[in-house]
Amino acid sequence: MTRHLFKLVWNRKRSNALMILEICVSFLVVFGVATLGLFFLDNYQQPLGFEWKNVWSVRVDIGQSGANLGGGAPEQAAIFARLLKEIRSFGAVEAAAGTAVIPFDQGGMTGSWTIDGKDVQVDFAEVTPGFAEAMGLKMVAGRWFQEADSALSWDPIVIDRDLAREVYGSGDAVGKPFGKAEAKERQRRVIGVVSDFRKTGELMPNGNFMFVLKGMDGPEARPLRNLLVRVRPGTPAEFEETLVKRMQAVAPEWSFEVRPLSQVRATSYHFFLTPLIVAGTVSSFLLLMVGLGLIGVLWQNLLQRTREIGLRRAAGASRTAVHRLVLLEQLVVTSLGVLLGALLVVQIPVLDLIGVLSNRVFASGLVFAMVTMYLISFVCTLYPSTLAARVQPAEALRYE
Amino acid sequence: MIRNYLKVALKVLGRRKFFTFISLFGISVTLLVLLLATALLDHVFAAQTPEIHANRMLGIYRLTMKGPENIQNSQPGYAFLDRFVRPMTKLPSVERIALVTEAQDVVSFLNGRKIQSLMRRADGDLWRVLSFDFVEGGPFTVADNENGRMVAVISETTRERFFDGRPAVGKTIEVDGQRFRVAGVVRDVPILRYSSSADLWVPITTAKSSAYKQEWLGHFTALILARSHADLPQIKAEFQSILRGAEKQLPDPKTFKFLVAGADTLFEGAARMFLPGEAVVNPGGRLRAVLLALMIGFMLLPTINLVNINLSRILDRASEIGVRRAFGASSRTLVGQFLVENLVLTLIGAAIGLVLTAFVLHAFNASGLIEHASLQLNFRIFLYGLAIAAFFGIFSGVYPAWRMSKLHPVRALRGRSI
Repeated sequence: MTRHLFKLVWNRKRSNALMILEICVSFLVVFGVATLGLFFLDNYQQPLGFEWKNVWSVRVDIGQSGANLGGGAPEQAAIFARLLKEIRSFGAVEAAAGTAVIPFDQGGMTGSWTIDGKDVQVDFAEVTPGFAEAMGLKMVAGRWFQEADSALSWDPIVIDRDLAREVYGSGDAVGKPFGKAEAKERQRRVIGVVSDFRKTGELMPNGNFMFVLKGMDGPEARPLRNLLVRVRPGTPAEFEETLVKRMQAVAPEWSFEVRPLSQVRATSYHFFLTPLIVAGTVSSFLLLMVGLGLIGVLWQNLLQRTREIGLRRAAGASRTAVHRLVLLEQLVVTSLGVLLGALLVVQIPVLDLIGVLSNRVFASGLVFAMVTMYLISFVCTLYPSTLAARVQPAEALRYE
Repeated sequence: MIRNYLKVALKVLGRRKFFTFISLFGISVTLLVLLLATALLDHVFAAQTPEIHANRMLGIYRLTMKGPENIQNSQPGYAFLDRFVRPMTKLPSVERIALVTEAQDVVSFLNGRKIQSLMRRADGDLWRVLSFDFVEGGPFTVADNENGRMVAVISETTRERFFDGRPAVGKTIEVDGQRFRVAGVVRDVPILRYSSSADLWVPITTAKSSAYKQEWLGHFTALILARSHADLPQIKAEFQSILRGAEKQLPDPKTFKFLVAGADTLFEGAARMFLPGEAVVNPGGRLRAVLLALMIGFMLLPTINLVNINLSRILDRASEIGVRRAFGASSRTLVGQFLVENLVLTLIGAAIGLVLTAFVLHAFNASGLIEHASLQLNFRIFLYGLAIAAFFGIFSGVYPAWRMSKLHPVRALRGRSI
């Protein structure tokens, strides 16, 4: 039976080849869109590691870029420290901190370190000691920064669990040096480990993260570019005006832009999901087009085979048998197309083309695309095969 | 002859309605997507208010400073543009140069309500390089900028937000803790016009701190208006030689030794921003290649689909083709006829696609997904649409036509498959 099916498919290889190509390309399209969607879904289910509700971010524009601060930096840092103090003095404010990056926001700093001969990619951010409280970070080992830490002779850092596992394996990370200090650099040493910190938000995968302490006094001090302010639940939006007026009074030369993290989060969702929605809409239309095309082509093919089918019926094949034959033939064609597509797609992990894609997401994308293609193919064969099964033997044999 | 082809084509289309429907559906949806993309690109890059002189305008949008270990890439700063680009005004081919910052979010509070606006700081020449539609008042001047006068030009939306749409010239507007007198009101500029969109414009010198004057990298853009389109290559070359000279005066020669930038058209400027890495050499060409590749990649599936359907359609007409060949029609005639038929089909699909596009664009503009966007069908896009449709028609017609011409008359007359 199987050999017979393949023979039937082979006999019409030219028209089937085109159909196989079409199914293969559709498979690739479905796989691409589905994998992107599943990638987001998978990331969404992982813990975020911080609390964004009731946190406001403040972009601090000090009117110049970092390279040009020069000798004025310590004075600017002192203004920054005063800002933090003023903000904390409000009753509506629970915690406040300075930070180089805003959660959910694009951009940030990435560095690579060689530790014990291993290259480690790390996203990092300079923060002030209030950061853990403002963002609700969870410590899993060691401790968070204190104000006094900026007086240490080495640079204290706090890393997240993933980074600790990657660098120190199952051993304890607290107290260990982080890489070797280069000339003019101070030794970095881990003082604590937090559970997670997914800076880019729920839709992006969990990466390595490192917090670097930034003190606001001493000759090395520089102001940071953002503030994070945790306000009491139920603080009215009007408080923003009060806050901005106070900050403008402290630093008249600077500009401030307040955005609740909920808003930053919504923007980031837009950023990541819009391409997915556009691609999803366009490919649904493409699939509809392919589906209709398949119906037409199958219909025409079967019309061409009226005599063959009539003969089968005359020789005693039942309607169900004809029906089944057509469906099985299409199953073979679809499988060939899907197989071809899958062979192409498997190159992605084999050649390690996309590093962030986990095997689980990849496999679910593959399965999703397969199921979709079989489903479309099956639905599109139903009507033409019903027509074929209706062929009357006598009529068909007369057909010219 | 062609008239005959057309007649046959229409007859054939009418005969197998289901096939015609499938083909038209595929073609019109494909063209709909391509036309929407074209309309979007046209909206961003074409010459229209305020960039009505886009074809003779260049911008310096990005500056990269490179050293042995460091690389920094951002918009150019005021110091760099003022020292090295502004003097280009003396070139006979340059009409005018304007410096303007990128649009930055600024906040105002009005009766306890928060208003967020995009603000640019600009010199007085901006108003003569770009041509805004003033609905009220006029621009601020070069002298306003030199003397640091607190004046502003606002958009219609800003006037709506601050003054409920009532005349605003002469009134005061408070933004980011600074107070400005409104000098003029312009029509809204769509947010995607990246070199000109904003909600309000104020003089550069009103900046709270004057630190920007020392910056090589910062938030500025220089817009260069040439006397004619033909002058652009010369200005580009001139800018590169100026860049070489500027490298010798870099403030921190140990850290940074080289400068990478270009005087770009709108399209090249966007290419420089979006393409990964340093699209230093011919960024416009690269972006064009990327867009073409995307277009062909997208058209792949619809084309296979259409080829497939076309082949089935030919099978249907095998006996007709057999008769024509038996009576001496050459392969070439048949191929020609089939291509004409396919083109007719594609053009009908294109017409439907165009109508669909008009509807979708209308809905899109009304949805406000992109602020102040007014994507429109215009003659340019219509021409693009025709070109895309013709390309698609030929692309998808060639293989079936070739198969058709190979059809053996005897076998075809027997009505058997190809």
